[in-house]
Amino acid sequence: MIRVRFHGRGGQGMKTASRVLGTGALLDGFVAQDSPVYGAERRGAPMAAFTRISTTAIFERGVIPAPDLVVVADDTLLDDVAARPLAGLTPAGALLIASADAPEDTRRRTGHPGTLVVRDFLTLALAEVRHHAGLSSALAAAAAALLGLTVAAVDAALERELEAIGLGAAAIGANLRLAARARDGLARVTFSAARPAAAREPARLADVVYAGPEAGTPSIAAPANTPLRKTGNWRVFRPVIDLARCTRCWVCFARCPDGAIALDAADTPIIDYAVCKGCLICAAECPTHGIERIREARGAVTVETSA
Amino acid sequence: MRKMLTGNSAAAWGARLADVDYVPAFPITPQTEIIEALAGWCAAGDMAARFVSLDSEHSMLTAAGAAAASGARVFTATSSQGLLYGIEVLYTAAGWRVPFVLVNVSRALASPITLEPDHNDVLAARDSGCLQIHAETCQEVLDSVLIGYRIAEDRRVLLPVIVNLDGFTLSFTREPVDIPDAGAARAYVGTYDPGHAVIRAGRPMAQGVAVLGGAGYSFFRYQMAIAADNALAVHEEAATAFAERFGRRWGLVDEYRMEDAELVLVMSNSFATKGRAAVDLLRAEGVPLGLLRLRVIRPFPRDAIRRALAGRRAVAVLDQNLSIGSGGITVAEIAHALYAESSRPPLLSYCGGLGGKEISEAEFRHVVDDLRRAAVTGEVPPPRLLYTEGEAAQMAALLRVAGKETPR
Repeated sequence: MIRVRFHGRGGQGMKTASRVLGTGALLDGFVAQDSPVYGAERRGAPMAAFTRISTTAIFERGVIPAPDLVVVADDTLLDDVAARPLAGLTPAGALLIASADAPEDTRRRTGHPGTLVVRDFLTLALAEVRHHAGLSSALAAAAAALLGLTVAAVDAALERELEAIGLGAAAIGANLRLAARARDGLARVTFSAARPAAAREPARLADVVYAGPEAGTPSIAAPANTPLRKTGNWRVFRPVIDLARCTRCWVCFARCPDGAIALDAADTPIIDYAVCKGCLICAAECPTHGIERIREARGAVTVETSA
Repeated sequence: MRKMLTGNSAAAWGARLADVDYVPAFPITPQTEIIEALAGWCAAGDMAARFVSLDSEHSMLTAAGAAAASGARVFTATSSQGLLYGIEVLYTAAGWRVPFVLVNVSRALASPITLEPDHNDVLAARDSGCLQIHAETCQEVLDSVLIGYRIAEDRRVLLPVIVNLDGFTLSFTREPVDIPDAGAARAYVGTYDPGHAVIRAGRPMAQGVAVLGGAGYSFFRYQMAIAADNALAVHEEAATAFAERFGRRWGLVDEYRMEDAELVLVMSNSFATKGRAAVDLLRAEGVPLGLLRLRVIRPFPRDAIRRALAGRRAVAVLDQNLSIGSGGITVAEIAHALYAESSRPPLLSYCGGLGGKEISEAEFRHVVDDLRRAAVTGEVPPPRLLYTEGEAAQMAALLRVAGKETPR
């Protein structure tokens, strides 16, 4: 069995990528299983998806703790203590990352000694389909190439899965061209069939004892702390307000779902870029079209990650 | 047609292939995709059913029962808090003796709030008069909806059927599913002939209004009990007919490597798949282990379970549920089934997987060690909560972060 784990942010298409792989495997005659897992469901939040591919019935369910191939759509997740995209990956496994970094830098940063494929799939996606969700087609095609699935099966899977999420023929065509570019030059990787001998030890069960009502009930004793969580590094695009076009109408301030826009004493909107997730609702709502979308520069925002 | 389908898609396909007339709906995670699919198909004309959004699950289930009482074939779905919100209606509608299929996507009950699966929600309805079939795979979900209509609408039964599938591990997980041909499926479920409960001007009747006590009340409740017991045979007929048409044979229980098994794990639903992996792993190490998967929960197939477990050297029941103040729910019913058996094995009880908690390979090994000891000594350990030292340490760390002290 080959186990593939995808890591991305909501909206980057890793669930779709896991399904393209699953459907592609089915079309190539394998047994497959795919599923996503989310924390709180919102654009930009870390999520993971799993695809299992086998020649026999699959007797596993749920998360993949020990993947053969890890796919990372957003290299800022490498520093995310909740996402932990490299957890369970051994030197025998392969790592596929969408990043503008040089491969040597990524190898240093990840410490992964095995097969490592680093490509700027985001720039490729923005060029071919003009949307960062194109990462799904690009990474699915690249992952499939590393697994040795046929191009015919993967392209058919892409058509099927993209149609299922509502893309029209023209968009699907663009995604197929993106897939061709994304997989170009990638060769099949041999994955070791031998699983590392898991400890044969039976679990030591805990004796759960009565904890009293303060600790033993699911009440929250601390005050709210959401403002401490900085999410500025989730952005692909940054909204920039053109103050010459701004009429101080309050619409962007009112529409920001995260309260990341404040108004000063003159009603001038100020975006808190440590928090702004780049959802671009402000840009969509601005009545004078006075908010620009600028591709976020790598490293433009550093946020503290709490241990 | 073989496609990758989630459990939710498979459930929706079951309703579509059963050519239902009416879908009263109310959303709840992790079921919502079922009714979204049905709404889309109804709007597109791919399904001839009438789709109606109700204000709550209580209203939804009342609408389901009332529509069934008018002679319509009805499908609906819910989960967890939604099931409990409407649960009085399940008892009531079952008492009307009208058929419908309700898909429950199992999700553990608050509090704490969770989205992840266990079976306390669906098992809360076990006394209601609704039958219950619990599915392990997406294929089984689709097939069981079709089989469910055959059973529910049979004159010897006429009770609602709940088909259960686990949230997340099945509802949002895609597996290869054979979608039966629409014509063949329609021929299999047939036409609902609602002789006893219809709305017809020339044949006025009043449903759901009888007020009776004592012997009168008891008579009608006993009729339900007999109808549920009839469902054992009706299920076998329906499953045999299904196998003849579609090539897949579903039983009252499901046995894996049980032919020569001396030690047995008893599980249900999608986590039973992990049990199969454990059986293969331990068999490769020479342990004569087998898996008995509970599938039909109501009526409880006592004879099938007794036949499967009699003569084994030790049996461990892994309940993915917990009756607070008692323990595992199915282990008690299994013990009842085995009590009169002269060669009844030591019966070990574990509660695990609550709130979707992982049951690891190491935990299965712990259970098998207990089974081996029980088989040799006859000694049965007290019922155990499956919770590892590692998980307890993680929880203690979380409590410290939350500013809560745990007792030493």
